Amino acid sequence: MQSKCEATTRSLPGCAVIELRGEVDGSAAATLSAAYDGAVATDEPPCVLLDFARVDYINSTGIALIVSVLAKARAQGRQVIASGLSDHYRQIFAITRLSDFIQLYDDVDAAAASVGVA
Amino acid sequence: MTTASGERVLVRFTVASEPGNERLALAQVAEAVAGTGLTDDQLDRLKTAVAEATMNAIEHGNHNQADVPVDITVVDTGEGVAVSIVDQGGAHAPATAPEVELPDLDKKLAGLQSPRGWGLFLIQNMVDAMDVSTDGDEHTVRLLMRTTWPPRPRDPKGGSRAEQM
Repeated sequence: MQSKCEATTRSLPGCAVIELRGEVDGSAAATLSAAYDGAVATDEPPCVLLDFARVDYINSTGIALIVSVLAKARAQGRQVIASGLSDHYRQIFAITRLSDFIQLYDDVDAAAASVGVA
Repeated sequence: MTTASGERVLVRFTVASEPGNERLALAQVAEAVAGTGLTDDQLDRLKTAVAEATMNAIEHGNHNQADVPVDITVVDTGEGVAVSIVDQGGAHAPATAPEVELPDLDKKLAGLQSPRGWGLFLIQNMVDAMDVSTDGDEHTVRLLMRTTWPPRPRDPKGGSRAEQM
């Protein structure tokens, strides 16, 4: 299945930002994994921000991918935070308890401010 | 068009059993339920439940065989909207519902449980009721989202109403 997910990474002081676009489903596995590995490869950031502002669909397999990223980050001692989720996906992050482990922010600026890089 | 139980059919369609076609299903369901009184939040939750149930039908029921369709029917029950998603996996469905381990994020993060396994959990948390039935080869998941609460009392004269799930 062709991936309908794109990812762009950029660095802020203390935080790597992964901006996702499109659909976070099973087809996004390689995209998300490569984006994470690329984002943390250079300056070993203590925090990774997943920005979902331009994501219009997340399904259960996408949730599993996010769990995998979270597990990997935690094993490496990194914090994961997220921004740009719609109210519906905030609800899903609460139901799945992802929001117990991933602090949610309205947008990238608010998230960046929280880690002191605004 | 109405069903035998007096429910008004809003749309009936099929999707081929190919990964990703759950997006087609949720789009058609969303279009069909416009004007039924669902709130935006209910619509979002119904779309997620329909997508997950259709994914299960495609993957587990019809084993990704593109020529085996998933049949989807959306009805107005009078008390809400019900979506029936039918695959052809009934013949190999277990006679009783299998014990499914609830997804546990702590276990998943500790590597003690697969990262996957969220689909049924999401469906159950998105809709007001879910009913699973099997008739021969046909395996049906029916999802209900109420627009009236509590349910109206049963009409003693047998008028149209939602079935109890």
